[in-house]
Amino acid sequence: MPLLFSCEGSDDSYHDVPLAVIQPGNFPQLTYDVSQNPPTQSGFELGRKLFYDGRLSSDGLVSCAFCHIQENAFTHHGHTVSHGVDNLVGTRNSPAIQNMGFLSTYMWDGVTTHLDLQPLIPLTSDVEMNGDLSAILAMMKGDARYKKLFSQAFPGEAITMENMLKALSQFMVMMVSSNSKFDMYRRGEGGATLTPDEQEGYTLFNQKCATCHATDLMTDNSFRNNGLAVNPQVNDVGRYKVTEAAADYYKFRVPSLRNVALTAPYMHDGRFGSLESVLNHYSSGIVNSPTLDSLLSNNGTLGIPLSPHEKEVIIAFLNTLTDTDFITNTSFSYHD
Amino acid sequence: MKLKYILAAFTVATAFVSCSNDDAASNVSGTGTLNVEFDNAFAGDDLLLNSQTYITSQNEVLKVSTVKYIVSNIVLTKDDGTTVTYPKSNSYFIVNEADEATHVLELANIPAGNYTKIKFGIGVDQEQFNAGASGQGDFLALAQSEDMLWSWSAGYKFVAFEGTFTSATVADATPFMLHTGQTGSSYNYTEVTLNLPTQALVRQNITPQIHIVTDVSKFIDGTNKINLSANNSMGMGAMIMGGEALPLITANLNAAFTVDHVHND
Repeated sequence: MPLLFSCEGSDDSYHDVPLAVIQPGNFPQLTYDVSQNPPTQSGFELGRKLFYDGRLSSDGLVSCAFCHIQENAFTHHGHTVSHGVDNLVGTRNSPAIQNMGFLSTYMWDGVTTHLDLQPLIPLTSDVEMNGDLSAILAMMKGDARYKKLFSQAFPGEAITMENMLKALSQFMVMMVSSNSKFDMYRRGEGGATLTPDEQEGYTLFNQKCATCHATDLMTDNSFRNNGLAVNPQVNDVGRYKVTEAAADYYKFRVPSLRNVALTAPYMHDGRFGSLESVLNHYSSGIVNSPTLDSLLSNNGTLGIPLSPHEKEVIIAFLNTLTDTDFITNTSFSYHD
Repeated sequence: MKLKYILAAFTVATAFVSCSNDDAASNVSGTGTLNVEFDNAFAGDDLLLNSQTYITSQNEVLKVSTVKYIVSNIVLTKDDGTTVTYPKSNSYFIVNEADEATHVLELANIPAGNYTKIKFGIGVDQEQFNAGASGQGDFLALAQSEDMLWSWSAGYKFVAFEGTFTSATVADATPFMLHTGQTGSSYNYTEVTLNLPTQALVRQNITPQIHIVTDVSKFIDGTNKINLSANNSMGMGAMIMGGEALPLITANLNAAFTVDHVHND
């Protein structure tokens, strides 16, 4: 009898390997509940395969990776907004996929608060992936590799939407970016030090930027109106659409600044092509409005005063947030 | 003599009757199936899609093209007061007027007993929604295929009620679309408890059917009145998918469902 079982294949003797989510010492606590969906090697590989699979989209081409490219910290280099199936475009810039397990809301307007559900938004959007969940289920059930990965990651369970989303979460939760020069310096690792310019930039950053871009994650997870001129063609009301509260007009989520040197263009609609443009906006480009953040209006002066030198050193500091480990880590890359 | 025979016959008959009572009493064990039918109506009339017109108390004349709602979290109460909660992960259904196969929910493995009440939710409860993908099974795929998924928020539509209407102020047939679900200020999930006029006797060999009538007129014409003409912005249609109308409609749902009768086979 035992001989018969072992002949049936390796599945019965396969032991999935649990993965420990990295909790960097200088980060806030993980918000994702891993007890409901503990990451394992198979779940991670399954999530990765899904992430790079264009068959999730209606035209077979637009995978998640299409707009979230590893070299750009999983953003869409050079694209203000991205083009999805049939070259349709949306209204918002592709945000970075990094440190997702430490955030509390997702998307520029924070419309969803659970990482498991977030992929449904680009997946089912008719201008992004335009995916048909029932067709995706059928595709996975007919694919030998998916069948194997699902049976290893979720033994004894059917291939379901639930498990597909859980696998994607397992993949994303493991994508922690915490080994930039800044991180090494903060944790006193590898003898990392900041140059005088970088140090000066960091001091200025703490004085002028860190209220909103708070903690070593560089976001306080709040929604703010940072004084961008409203584009009348789009009139993107941001957080208002979610809460329907007038106080939330034109407010968007404060993004993390990690890997910011790689994630151009900037802002919810990608309107600024460089960090210089961003700092110019804060120093002299702020547009007033009823919901403008109070931090950007001081006794009638709009914006954050910054001299050319200060801008230079702040940018030098921001460059230390680049995590080469993260963007070259092949475990996050496409595998056959 | 005749009387003796009548008495004898009566005694025999009584004996038979008491035998079958004993049988019923002793077979309340094991599990069975309970069917719950949702029969959509408009006020006192049957609901016919895309044909019959219906008039509301606000004198708006409707033609209905779509009625869909999520039914969830079914809890049954027995005559001894104890409750049976249908397993949560199996307890999400979409009733779609256009698809007859969705009108009857077949609940399996119900403990045998005499049931007196049924409770169900309309929509996906907040506890499940906050759990992300856990416990969803394939319900998200079903919701998308039934167009009950809000793509932009990865959230559910709880009730979809659509069609066209005319009124004193709206002469040409104009679309209306009413979708409830989570909005910025309210979650809009509600639970409805209905008493069964006669008990549903679930047995291993008896499958009762609870026939619920859903009066869809109450969605907009219940305790709270929703005026479609007043919501018809720029003549482009009454699109009611957010804002203060949704909690009002949700409150109306409690009176929209009644148990018309119970069959025990």
